[in-house]
Amino acid sequence: MVLGTQDVTPVSFWFAVLPGASVQLDDLVAVETRKPDGSAVNFYGIVDHVRTRHEGVTFDSDVQDVAAGLLPASVSYAARVLVTRVQPENFIPPQPGDAVRHARGNDLRMALSADKMGDKAFPGGLLADGQVLPINYRFVNGENGGHINISGISGVATKTSYALFLLHSIFRSGMMGVGAAAGRALIFNVKGEDLLFLDQRNREVITREAEAQAQKGLPDHRYALMGLPVEAFRDVQFLAPPRPGHPGAAIVPHVEQRSEGVTPFLYSLREFCARRMLPYVFVDRDASVNLGFVIGSIEERLYRMAQGGDTPYLTVDDWQPDTEQVLDEDMRFDEMGSVRIGTFAQLAAYLEYKLLDANDGEGDRKWVGKQSPATLQAFIRRLRGVQKHLTPLVRGDVSAEQVARFRPDPLKAGVQTTVVDIHTLSATAQMFIVGVLLRDLFEYKERVGRQDTVFVVLDELNKYAPRDGDSPIKDVLLDIAERGRSLGIILIGAQQTASEVERRIVSNAAIRVVGRLDLAEAERPEYRFLPQSFRARAGILQPGTMLVSQPDVPNPVLVNYPFPAWATRKDEVDDLGGREVAEVGEDWLR
Amino acid sequence: MRRMRIRLDPWPVDTNGGQLGLQSFDGTLDDLETERWVALPARPIPERLRQVFVVDGKRRMESRLFIEDDFGQSGLGGFGAFVVGAVELCPHGSRQAELREVKAARLLAHAPDLRLDPMTLSPRNPHTGQLEYTPVAMQGTDALAALNLLQGQMLAAEQRLSHALASRVPADEQDDREWLSALTVQDGTLRGQNLDGAVVGCVKTMETMYLPPDRAALLAELRPGERTPVMRMTYRNGQFTRLIWYVRLCEAAFYQHPMAGVMRLEMFAPDDPSFLPPIVRQVANLSGTLLTRLGSRAHKDPRAPQNLIPTAALEQAMGRSMGSADLVTRRIRAHIASLHPQAVA
Repeated sequence: MVLGTQDVTPVSFWFAVLPGASVQLDDLVAVETRKPDGSAVNFYGIVDHVRTRHEGVTFDSDVQDVAAGLLPASVSYAARVLVTRVQPENFIPPQPGDAVRHARGNDLRMALSADKMGDKAFPGGLLADGQVLPINYRFVNGENGGHINISGISGVATKTSYALFLLHSIFRSGMMGVGAAAGRALIFNVKGEDLLFLDQRNREVITREAEAQAQKGLPDHRYALMGLPVEAFRDVQFLAPPRPGHPGAAIVPHVEQRSEGVTPFLYSLREFCARRMLPYVFVDRDASVNLGFVIGSIEERLYRMAQGGDTPYLTVDDWQPDTEQVLDEDMRFDEMGSVRIGTFAQLAAYLEYKLLDANDGEGDRKWVGKQSPATLQAFIRRLRGVQKHLTPLVRGDVSAEQVARFRPDPLKAGVQTTVVDIHTLSATAQMFIVGVLLRDLFEYKERVGRQDTVFVVLDELNKYAPRDGDSPIKDVLLDIAERGRSLGIILIGAQQTASEVERRIVSNAAIRVVGRLDLAEAERPEYRFLPQSFRARAGILQPGTMLVSQPDVPNPVLVNYPFPAWATRKDEVDDLGGREVAEVGEDWLR
Repeated sequence: MRRMRIRLDPWPVDTNGGQLGLQSFDGTLDDLETERWVALPARPIPERLRQVFVVDGKRRMESRLFIEDDFGQSGLGGFGAFVVGAVELCPHGSRQAELREVKAARLLAHAPDLRLDPMTLSPRNPHTGQLEYTPVAMQGTDALAALNLLQGQMLAAEQRLSHALASRVPADEQDDREWLSALTVQDGTLRGQNLDGAVVGCVKTMETMYLPPDRAALLAELRPGERTPVMRMTYRNGQFTRLIWYVRLCEAAFYQHPMAGVMRLEMFAPDDPSFLPPIVRQVANLSGTLLTRLGSRAHKDPRAPQNLIPTAALEQAMGRSMGSADLVTRRIRAHIASLHPQAVA
């Protein structure tokens, strides 16, 4: 019953829990009140505070007398509700004494605004009492809003797990109907080789889900409750950078744990120039204004240089490198007398020559422009710095056929999910790959429009789009955040601290998710969407539990989500295909 | 040279008379339990005693009235409320204490020759309940008659409740009706006639010293839980007869009067002057143990330890059940206003 000793308002009220009933945090409740004319107004809300106390006693020490049976006192068990919805929208307060009930069935649908979502809802996890939280897909796919942002301490908040669970739910809940195949995902793997087994079944999922079911007293395991299949991701391609080695060595993916099914990826030197990838090599182009100009003009020079050829390498005729160029047997006639630039190191050397060494240290006037030598040196220094990291990725020493085969293509036919493993790369190379891939994707989507929704999963947003500073990668991410939703690119971004990420990226996310947070972080303005009691609780959330906020429901909702059905480590891979050991053994013996 | 000594009356100064304004008693007092005047130790509470009830009552005059009835008669009257209630507890501490029967009754006291119907005062907000006043004719017509009526009604209700809850006490030696399984502790002295219940009255304030001076010294020497032997006490007019004894609930602090913490207990006496019912002896034996446990603490209650823990809680609950005096007064005014619409318009 709604309490009369505390203020009752249309947005928040306390209620007394009758003996025999129990209420916990995050329970959804409903109240019906009547206006003087007899018409009903329904309030739906979420419990954000529960407390018990002795009523009718004055002193703290009275608890001993109550427990000894001397002092009559009653236990007052009360809970506070934050109203999430008033239907119809008459913002009158409920009356003290109005009965409060658990929201179930239709009440629950109303409390979570599921009626507004219609068939465009997909499960976002289970509420504390085992009911399914629907998330409005219209706020994910860009129709009404888009993007998902996940914050939480690394390791405890399991941001990537939840992002993958949401993808699984979007792809497999049947909510997209026949168009399910049309959705794609581009996932960047930034930590370990965790995501390289997404297409393998997890051998522990059955036991772990059975444990969770028993522990929470659920009627069925969590996948079944949400109507999701217990299966790994389908149609996945894995891309990994090639293992660094001598020029001409075999191109094999740089991964340790997975021996097959991973494709190496690289760009040709000509593509690097023709597709203007140079800016993505520089993460701090705002270090000085002039550096930005240099990058811009060199980018243009390289672009022009790359025109008119189709080889993976570039040729120049105005440079004599120190080392002898070995004459290649398949050298083409029109390249006679020129020098071939076949590696990233050579490209860097060529640029150094053009900018600093040529013309007796003056540099080539056309290239140098009016820039000071200090700026040019800064440019070359930076280029040399990343040279080691980019050499395996940007190469001219491969055949055109290999370039075509190893070119990363997240939109390849027959592939729904692409995992790009960048964890072995240095920070600069990671930025380069993320920036180039997202730029390509964005440009492609600008041409073809939004019919295929592409979900981009990117952890450590604070690295790629920091609040302070400027970089081409940040520009791409901002483009995606601000215009991507209308093009069908949805960013599922994650970071430890939202306060360190570019504000416009976080604020463009329609769905915000918070796992365990550092308490100081939770007080920052980025988390104002969490009511105070939720902010305090964000410090104690366990792995597998998230606070989800979506536009349809004004207050965040606490959900737990199931153990991944896909392997997240090599030792979780279910190589028995779900069968008993003995059964598989028999097959072998036959 | 003897030094001046000052001791504190244990009760707050605004309590009428204080605890120790002792007057002498001019009735008779007879030894009944024993002739040896010594302190008797407290005994454990027998297993068979399962329920102890602490009963109290409270009353409140809400308005004094001048009434004109539909037949042209007029006279004084008053709106009043009283409540009696009990706390049920287990003397062995194995159950939670619970409030029983705490419900206010409302009276419309009126001069004897008026004819009135019951009155219902409805609130403006239908959520907050109605007040129903039952008309009862007063004895006499003076200004205090309404209050006296209210007090009498309350005491009678308290008496009925106490005895209804308690075990029966046999009236003579042949009467062997039942064991002591339910005991009622009633706040204040016993009134009215004996209704046979195992009801013990706790007199908090010592206003009259029933003991002769040579015996009174023992009261200061009692240790917590100890009691005096049971005596039979008769007022001079012979009207009231009680069995009484004294018990100490706690050590008196050094600055207090040595009799602080001593309480007089009384039970109804049977007609046979030489018969001490075994139940009374049992109650006397366990009274020290029970009351030292029920006694409150000085920092929680200015009348500690005599104002028992359950009594204090009961008083609070009773006050609550009568409702806020301000709100009731306002309701009465609103009701009268509704009877005189022209006055409001």
